[in-house]
Amino acid sequence: MSSPPDPAILLTGTILMASCYGAGALTLVLARWSGRLAIAAGHVAALAGAVAGLGVSLGVLLGDQGRTLTLPLPVLFPFARLSLSMDGLSAYFLLVISLVAIAAALYGPAYLRAHSPDAGRARQAAQVLALNVFLGCMSFLCCAGDALTFLLCWEGMTLASYVLVVSDDRDGENARAGHLYMVMAHGGTALLFIAFFALTERAGAFDFAALRAAAGGLDATTRTALFFLALGGFATKAGVVPLHVWLPRAHPAAPSHVSALMSGVMLKVAIYGILRFAFDLLAPVTGPLPPSWGWTVLVLGTTSAVVGVLYALQQHDLKRLLAFHSVENVGIILIGVGLAMVLCRREAAGVALATLALTAALLHTLNHAAFKGLLFLGAGSVLCRTHVRNMEELGGLARRMPWTTGLFLLGAVAISALPPLNGFVSEWLTFQALLGGAGHFHGPAGLAIVLSAAMLALTGGLAAACFAKAFGVTFFGRPRTSHAEHATEAPASMIAGMVWLGALCVVLGVAPGYAVRLLDAPTAALLDGPGASAVVSIRGPLVLSAELALTGTGATAISMTVLTALLIALAALAWALRRGSSGVARREAPTWTCGMSPTERFDYTATAFAKPLRLVFAALYRPRREVTRETAGTPYVASRIHYYGEVVDVAETQVYHRVQRGITLLSRIIRLRSTGRIHGYIGFVLGALFVALLLFGVGR
Amino acid sequence: MMSGEISVVIVLLDMALLVLIGPLVTGIIQKIKARLQCRQGAGVLQPYRDIRKLLRKGTVQADTASGFFRSIPVLVLAATVAAGALVPVMRAAPPVFPMGDAIMLLGLLALARFLTALGALDAGGAFGGMGASREMTIAPLVEPVLMMVVFSTALAAGTTELGALAAHRGTSWILSWRAADFLGFAAMLVLLPAETGRIPVDNPDTHLELTMLHEGMLLEHSGPGLGCMLLASHARQIVTLGLVSALFFPFGPTESAGAMGLLLGAGAFAVKILVLAGFLALVESSYAKLRLFRVPQYLGVGFVCALTALALRIL
Repeated sequence: MSSPPDPAILLTGTILMASCYGAGALTLVLARWSGRLAIAAGHVAALAGAVAGLGVSLGVLLGDQGRTLTLPLPVLFPFARLSLSMDGLSAYFLLVISLVAIAAALYGPAYLRAHSPDAGRARQAAQVLALNVFLGCMSFLCCAGDALTFLLCWEGMTLASYVLVVSDDRDGENARAGHLYMVMAHGGTALLFIAFFALTERAGAFDFAALRAAAGGLDATTRTALFFLALGGFATKAGVVPLHVWLPRAHPAAPSHVSALMSGVMLKVAIYGILRFAFDLLAPVTGPLPPSWGWTVLVLGTTSAVVGVLYALQQHDLKRLLAFHSVENVGIILIGVGLAMVLCRREAAGVALATLALTAALLHTLNHAAFKGLLFLGAGSVLCRTHVRNMEELGGLARRMPWTTGLFLLGAVAISALPPLNGFVSEWLTFQALLGGAGHFHGPAGLAIVLSAAMLALTGGLAAACFAKAFGVTFFGRPRTSHAEHATEAPASMIAGMVWLGALCVVLGVAPGYAVRLLDAPTAALLDGPGASAVVSIRGPLVLSAELALTGTGATAISMTVLTALLIALAALAWALRRGSSGVARREAPTWTCGMSPTERFDYTATAFAKPLRLVFAALYRPRREVTRETAGTPYVASRIHYYGEVVDVAETQVYHRVQRGITLLSRIIRLRSTGRIHGYIGFVLGALFVALLLFGVGR
Repeated sequence: MMSGEISVVIVLLDMALLVLIGPLVTGIIQKIKARLQCRQGAGVLQPYRDIRKLLRKGTVQADTASGFFRSIPVLVLAATVAAGALVPVMRAAPPVFPMGDAIMLLGLLALARFLTALGALDAGGAFGGMGASREMTIAPLVEPVLMMVVFSTALAAGTTELGALAAHRGTSWILSWRAADFLGFAAMLVLLPAETGRIPVDNPDTHLELTMLHEGMLLEHSGPGLGCMLLASHARQIVTLGLVSALFFPFGPTESAGAMGLLLGAGAFAVKILVLAGFLALVESSYAKLRLFRVPQYLGVGFVCALTALALRIL
């Protein structure tokens, strides 16, 4: 870009974005006349807002580095001044949000019509309104310039997504999922409140600059305590193991384009929060970050990656499987973030490596948003055409929904970190950063880092296994039920949303250098270092080069572009070889099933496909199964066999159920003391007040 | 360490050479196996004859398979051969223009495996699903260990590019081997049968449902498609052997020197591949295939070796 865009244009864009998302409120008015019109208008508003957001974020990212765009907001509260401030990091996350939001806005109208045609107008209008609020809150959260705006947007995001979770199918399971989500999200929010208000109380103001200054005077213990509070709050939202249990329930329950936003984008907002706190608000004025921060994040990330993918493998609900993969991918992002935290603010070599690690993490943030969005939209197409989420009841969709199949395959290859798509690029960068980090540290720390790399490799392999299962069982073979048999291709506007994200996956995979340039501003600002493209892409955008010469260990370069060209050329050659040599015509015949007439019962099921891995990792899964045989007369002839299998989430049984039992017990005790007489309660209040005064009232 | 760079023509030549001699290596392994079992065995050129015959035959496709089925052999072959482009055969230096490194090589092999598994599920028979399920069980366990072996070598050189790794080791590798190298090599020998689909992990000679992994996935392919799949599995085998030789016994000119140096490099490569092929044949003739659920324990031996190699390298 030759001349940086005028700040005024960017500010106008921001206001435009706000008013577009705000215009989503029109749906409520329009719904009085026409439900269809209301839905369309709401999504057009969302689309316009997303395009404006995309423009603003690109303007900031490609403009002057290190410049922060600020915009005071109207005074809502007498005690605080609200403002927006957008630096590189904010703009990058706004970019991620806007890119997926465009796809969701394209996809949404047709999906809502096709998925629940008999839903009331009011409900659909409420959903569309909530979608706009959700998008607006996420966008402004990333641009928040003060604690109050941040928390208000955070709460708005949670509430809007709650509405979307419970409104789609109004059954008991969704309500329970929404309830769990609400409780856990607010637990996390409470931690954030404590962390923020501890800072604002010291600063006497809400804006981030004051908080930064106030954090400078903190002692090490308080600083670390505040960081862990914030980390707890954000990790709950991000679905980090063991705080992930709400995620695989709530994400699938929402309409599919909202699932795409929740998994692809909302989790990233939590990542933004972690980055903002660790590198900006709470970072010590000089010297490295406390080592406990980075190592904790690294360990949490590694655990989430492995545990997330292992549980994903055993899911047979297509959307739930994808939700567990979000846990995995957040883990991969956190591996990069943790490594950057461990390495940053050391000597030049450490900073270069930290830049590499943070680049990997941020790039994976964008990549995951693209492919996870694509996969959720694909699953949504399947859902709205078959009304089935259980993949054991699907199959054979490749012949019936070719576009959806192709695009889902693209997403599956990308998420499995297979070349030449974008998932591979960011995992490759993570591997390089981990290797460099291991070489940098030596000793036990180095070994821990390299083991984390081995776990990342395991994660990639397991993800490939999981998607071979999910894709193969859902789209290939014979249809297992009439739902799948009568499926037809999704409407064109839904395909368009998926094509947008699919194209992103391909572009980010084949020419990743362009995306790395976008990361210059955020990485340089956070790490006070050379910026992403100084470390990663030395020889232009077509070569991806992890340049570790600064660390004295050498460099590795790959070119996704050249490799993709080679792959295409070789495939063309192989195709020609095959065509040129086959003289005899192709004919079709039934699949070989040892002479029996083939039916869909011969197809391998998802349960069977995942069985060997279920047995290999039985220590984690603790699988349970019950087989009952109904015999007719003689015990040797079974007339029916019932199979029931289940895999439990260890975090759920070992942690949450115990906590739940504890709470139940506590509430039972409290109930014994609750006699219903008002005197008793007044007595309790007085007693509590007395104790509180004794404890805290003396110093003042 | 300063290494020269190799022109792209030689890289493509390397790749073509790997594809062309891939079937020969399988033929040699089969021949050695036959002689060890006191049989005459087919000629070493038999794999070429098989592929030529398949390419001339017609195709019978399952009527339930989708439109993707036909393109799978082509893509699998392309991915495997592209992985071949990343293996230094006659050289011990990186190419002029970067293409890919060891992680990319493993990624391309994983892509080929992923597509093969999908193809197996497409036709909708139980055998294909069984093969795919087993293959995708073993693969995630092999990959991290393989990656650890690569890391243990890469940590010393500071790069994961195979040519640069080879250049870093230099020609005097035999004198500079340390304990970590021996352990890494031991881990690689454990993994080799798993990655090439041979006993004790898989049995390439049978389609019996008790034993099959890879072969089960090929059942529904026929004619030229099967030919492509077979060629891809020969290529995969030699690419894996090439990876071992590049990681542990690199030999060849470090820059685009004369034809003499390249010939010498090619000759050395042939010797290394022959030795490794002999090892595979020996293992295959002297061991029985493991039960599927014993394979993780077998791979555990490799994991321990790789972990120790890494620890020795880092600590």
